[in-house]
Amino acid sequence: MARERGATTKTIILGVLMIAGIAIPFFSGNFIIRFFTNALMFAVLASAWNIIGGYTGYASFGNVVFLGVGAYVSAVLMEKGGVPFWIAFPASGVGAAVFAVLIGLPVLRLKGHYFAIATLGVAEAMKALVDNLEITEGNSGIYLPVMNLSVKAQYVFFYFMMLGVLVLTLGVTFVVLKKKLGYGLIAIREDEEAANSLGVNTTLFKVTSFALSGFFSGLAGSLYAYQQGFIKPESVFDVGVTVKMIVMAVFGGIGSLLGPLVGALSIEIISEVLTNYFLVAHTLFFGAIVILAIVFTPRGIMDILSGRRKFGLNYLLQNIRNHRV
Amino acid sequence: MVILEGKGITKEFGGLKAVSDVDFVLNKGEILGLIGPNGAGKTTIVNMISGTYAPTSGRIMYKGMDITGKKPYQIGRMGISRTYQIVKPFPGMTVKENVSVGAMFGAQGKNYSTKEAIEKAESILEFVGLQDMANHRADDLSVASRKRLEMAKALAMGPEVILFDEVMAGLNFSEIDKAVELIRKIRDEGISILVIEHVMRAIKGVSDRIFVLHHGAKIADGKPEEVLNNEQVVKAYLGRRYKELVR
Repeated sequence: MARERGATTKTIILGVLMIAGIAIPFFSGNFIIRFFTNALMFAVLASAWNIIGGYTGYASFGNVVFLGVGAYVSAVLMEKGGVPFWIAFPASGVGAAVFAVLIGLPVLRLKGHYFAIATLGVAEAMKALVDNLEITEGNSGIYLPVMNLSVKAQYVFFYFMMLGVLVLTLGVTFVVLKKKLGYGLIAIREDEEAANSLGVNTTLFKVTSFALSGFFSGLAGSLYAYQQGFIKPESVFDVGVTVKMIVMAVFGGIGSLLGPLVGALSIEIISEVLTNYFLVAHTLFFGAIVILAIVFTPRGIMDILSGRRKFGLNYLLQNIRNHRV
Repeated sequence: MVILEGKGITKEFGGLKAVSDVDFVLNKGEILGLIGPNGAGKTTIVNMISGTYAPTSGRIMYKGMDITGKKPYQIGRMGISRTYQIVKPFPGMTVKENVSVGAMFGAQGKNYSTKEAIEKAESILEFVGLQDMANHRADDLSVASRKRLEMAKALAMGPEVILFDEVMAGLNFSEIDKAVELIRKIRDEGISILVIEHVMRAIKGVSDRIFVLHHGAKIADGKPEEVLNNEQVVKAYLGRRYKELVR
């Protein structure tokens, strides 16, 4: 019964989001379209983070590096190589995935905090590297070719591209979860040693998970770069972006398919509203909301919506007890 | 016919010899008991067979192949399953999902689709008597059921050899009897079994042969009655009053 209610709630959420997702650009001005394009990008990043951090249990604190690699692959290919966007775009995803494999092989041998710190270091190191390379034009940043479309058309184009990447990310994740790969990843999260002795090739699975995470983030990076028209290392390798995607995933519900999407949309909307009302102190209120959410609903909003446990004062108190806050 | 064999296996941790120069043989269809005091090196032997540790020296042969130093997942896929003394369920998964993972990735995993693996898990749960708990989360289970889940996961891999590391520790008498019965049932499926156990009543009844470790070295190997009357074994492990107590 509870399970059924959960499934219905999920279908309703998904339906509403899909209709709203397609309808928004037709009824909104540029500002709103741009706002939601940005929110969708974070939904992609948080969902991609969820693959490695939520399902595989490896909390990466450097996932922004895939956004950066994707952005710079597009920028360099299009600006220096004269490659059209339609080639640069998938190349960014593949480039970030290949980068994830190369980094993942050594770094995924680490666990817990060590893995988190190592990934953080990788992202910072890439920022420093791109800052000093000639082909990326160093810390002065790099321009991308200008798109030959009206402003409104550009906004709509990027909106739907980002929506497409999000649907792809969630669709692939959904399929993976039904396959052996998904079972293997969750087994690794629950107990890696036991998974290994049950025949799961843990190294291969972890690297695959990291590469998927990198691929989708890289696609988002490509779109971000092309829409901005100009990128700098400190903006696309910014640790703050990693923190934001993790907060969103946690807020919505780690290890649930729609959690990061719900988290990204709610956080973006909350922070936008707060900025409107409290120009200076909005981060203070925002921080308070995040802390309260994590204390009272550590499993995220999706846990409340899933209907597995009845929502109420007891639910909140039980969460505090269970998670020893 | 010999299915699993250790030849002079040794494991050193730093300067400490946990296992030194041990030979053992497991015959096809046999239940071999492995006993010894705490710290004798029993679990270290299981860890070496299952690939968790590579032996410092010595070789481990399985069906005539040298499996020394292979990774745990490779050894699991070749047909050697194990359980853990401190059970390692996947707590957030259901019991059925736990067992499905074994079926998906074990020795027979390549032949199963996801759906077939889940069906296989259901039949295994019935075999070990956990079918009523199939849709519960693994961390909802009692100690006895968790031990049984460990056995089910190992079994779902479709192995030829299973290493049971203290699957009866912490169980009461009636639960032990059930576990012994299950181990016999598994052997009747044609699976060869190595059992580590401290529960004498169980190991004596279930083993075809027993070997005894003490300070990392083998001190006895043979039929249960012989081994349990062996002077050295009594001194090292069972204690002088064991015979009186058993009577």
